[in-house]
Amino acid sequence: MVFNSYTFVAFFIIMLILHNLPFSWKVKKINLLLASYIFYAAWNPPFILLLWLSTIIDFFVGKALYVQTNKHKRWVLLVVSLIGNLGMLCFFKYGSFLLENFVMVCNALGIDYHPAKPNIILPAGISFYTFTTLCYTVDMYKRKSKPVKSLLDFSLFVTFFPHLVAGPIVRPPQLVPQFESPRKASKQQLANGLLLLTLGLFMKVVLADTLLSATADAVFGHNGKLGFLDAWAGVLAFSGQIFFDFAGYSTAAIGVALCLGFVLPQNFLYPYAAIGFSDFWRRWHITLSSWLRDYLYIPLGGNREGNFKTYINIMITMLIGGLWHGAHWTFVAWGGLHGLYLCAEKAMDYKRPKPSPIIGSAPEPVISTASIIPELPVKKLNGDFLKALLTFLLICITWVFFRSASFADAWQLLRAMFARQGATVPLLTTIAIIKVGIVVSLMLIFHWIMRDTTVLKVAGKIPAWGVGIIWSLMLVLIILSQESSKSFIYFQF
Amino acid sequence: MKTNWPLNSVVLALVLVIGAVSCWEVFLRNKRVRPDFDDGPELWADKRGMVYQPSNKATVFIGSSRIKYDLDIDTWQSITGTHAIQLAIVGSSPRTMLKDLANDTNFKGKLLVDVTEVLFFNQSPGVSQTPDEAINYYHKRTPAQKASFEIDKLIEPRLVMLNRDFYSLNGLLDHLHIPNRRGVIVAGLDFPIGFAETFYNRQTKMTNTFLRDTTRINKVRRIWASIPKRNSAPPVTGKALDSILLSVKHDVNRIRDRGGEVVFLRTPSSGPFLMRENKGYPRGKYWNKLLAVTQCKGIHFSDYAALNNLVCPEFSHLKRHDAVIYTKGIIDILKKETDWKL
Repeated sequence: MVFNSYTFVAFFIIMLILHNLPFSWKVKKINLLLASYIFYAAWNPPFILLLWLSTIIDFFVGKALYVQTNKHKRWVLLVVSLIGNLGMLCFFKYGSFLLENFVMVCNALGIDYHPAKPNIILPAGISFYTFTTLCYTVDMYKRKSKPVKSLLDFSLFVTFFPHLVAGPIVRPPQLVPQFESPRKASKQQLANGLLLLTLGLFMKVVLADTLLSATADAVFGHNGKLGFLDAWAGVLAFSGQIFFDFAGYSTAAIGVALCLGFVLPQNFLYPYAAIGFSDFWRRWHITLSSWLRDYLYIPLGGNREGNFKTYINIMITMLIGGLWHGAHWTFVAWGGLHGLYLCAEKAMDYKRPKPSPIIGSAPEPVISTASIIPELPVKKLNGDFLKALLTFLLICITWVFFRSASFADAWQLLRAMFARQGATVPLLTTIAIIKVGIVVSLMLIFHWIMRDTTVLKVAGKIPAWGVGIIWSLMLVLIILSQESSKSFIYFQF
Repeated sequence: MKTNWPLNSVVLALVLVIGAVSCWEVFLRNKRVRPDFDDGPELWADKRGMVYQPSNKATVFIGSSRIKYDLDIDTWQSITGTHAIQLAIVGSSPRTMLKDLANDTNFKGKLLVDVTEVLFFNQSPGVSQTPDEAINYYHKRTPAQKASFEIDKLIEPRLVMLNRDFYSLNGLLDHLHIPNRRGVIVAGLDFPIGFAETFYNRQTKMTNTFLRDTTRINKVRRIWASIPKRNSAPPVTGKALDSILLSVKHDVNRIRDRGGEVVFLRTPSSGPFLMRENKGYPRGKYWNKLLAVTQCKGIHFSDYAALNNLVCPEFSHLKRHDAVIYTKGIIDILKKETDWKL
């Protein structure tokens, strides 16, 4: 079930009513769990078995890991859980990819091997819930937190529908304690949640699907030479589309959870205002980048073992991060390019202002001066803005690999962006180029303006009529777009 | 997340949304626009799921846009007492749909295939793109998508503003008609409003307003005249044509082998469009050959007195009144010349 569908509207209204009826907290949690299973099964019912399997294995293995004192047995339990989780992920997500590469290697060695192409359907959100359960197992192994007491709470932690299929990737301490005592949204939380849900849908339905997706699809799906303008318009369109699509989902998920009284972690923080690439990864898909940092980069040694090892660890982390996104070498190249950027940035260590702190720990003066049309002092507009713009343009190059179906397509597009192509037939209509120009420019301006604050904080500073008008404008545009039920890009990951 | 923006903004937003949406709807209704259905994969998939009805209770129609106008579903259903399942897709070749039905071993019913030669015998991937998307959507349809369609079915026929082609955000922006750079090929054809009104049963018709407006009719005629410039490929001949015919024969035989029945229809066209079709796709080399290879019954409109004087206002599709005549004529012919029990 996707947030941008009539089914979800009906489902969510029923959930809100049920959650606010005078049932016991246990009954409400059972309601939420059943609803989460329905939410998932509405996509493909049989795959709910995988979710159950993952939940059951990790609940019992996690408990055993925490209490077991025998080192050998603990190691066996960890391996069982890792095989269960990663095995499932490997089979469903990387099965075809591994076989394809195995065949390629065989053929290169002169072995004539041509197996039937497997027809494996990727269960929605498997990468997300695998990472959610994986971090629980590792935490239990390291005894970083206490095991979840009840199977109901653990099942709800894994399956809670707002984050289930496309994150934010939650850690047990972020969500499990919220299930332990009764929670119901206050009027303010409900209003905040509805505003975030509207904003998320606006980003997805209006900006990503209506105004940008067709241009990105046309350019990345084009067979033949592209002109400079078409190539850049397509890449900029995808840069906007991928942000609005994924950040839209996360914002809607956070809003939906808030309407029910639960708080999910931030997943995006105006990433296109990042100054440099480490700053970008502190703002883009925050829950994944922090997961990779805590469960991969730091265990590999992080930056504790000298410069050279640090570069290696960065590259390993980013290559695996790339592969997490999709079973194709172009995703690995995307991750690798980000890894190179990060290594280069580290090597250059150029003097730039410290990246803005994550919201929640932001210094008060920054927030207090934020407003919808803030002062833009001249000094802020010079160096930092240009650095942010340069960062954005370099990130756009990485999106070429992320979105292209093959390396040949990616190279062709890069050539069109940076080299003369001779005579080409223009592809995009004027209105398509105007849409991309306006949306991407506004996106960059808003990211820069909002880089040190949040929507809800800004909403708190605007008069009620202002919030009402902006909110209604978003709703009217969502209705006018008529782009319901399109799937989210990150569902395929 | 402690914020204190006043809750009355929620109320204000709701009032403004209801006000804006209502004004827009009233404005469109005053322009005499009527609600209809988006003829997308969701609606197609809904009908595709109905093909398993017994052959004495339903007939399936595949083809291009002509049969969507020319078959009057109400007339068919009232005379035959059986269900007409319309699966034709505008601007496409029915060969993709024929293959899909042939692959579906559960389909054993009666099938009428509309032949518009320029599309039927077309090898361009463009003519199978929309059917492929619709077929793919049908086979991968999730329970959530089915549920959403059930809700949409209640809302869409009641609101004019949900006309996606003209009144969605992209529809409105596209109809600003901002000039393009020289050489840009615009995807899709820019038909005027009223040319294609579609209903839940996938019946398409021209509105009376459209039929009264010669400017709009002439615009559609100009679009037909411009198609050869967009698609400069010559009509398929030789081995490529043989390959198409063999593929159609294979699919038809698979349906017939399990008890299904297939009849081909050549729906009417008029004026310069018909002349161009006759010149590009001579009957002997295409229509007659199709029937000879597949060994199927074919009903060519020009062979029957009841059908050959029907005139298409914009040269390619019948108006509602003539669609009723055409449908009655087809039923009579099928009753007389086949063993179909209608």
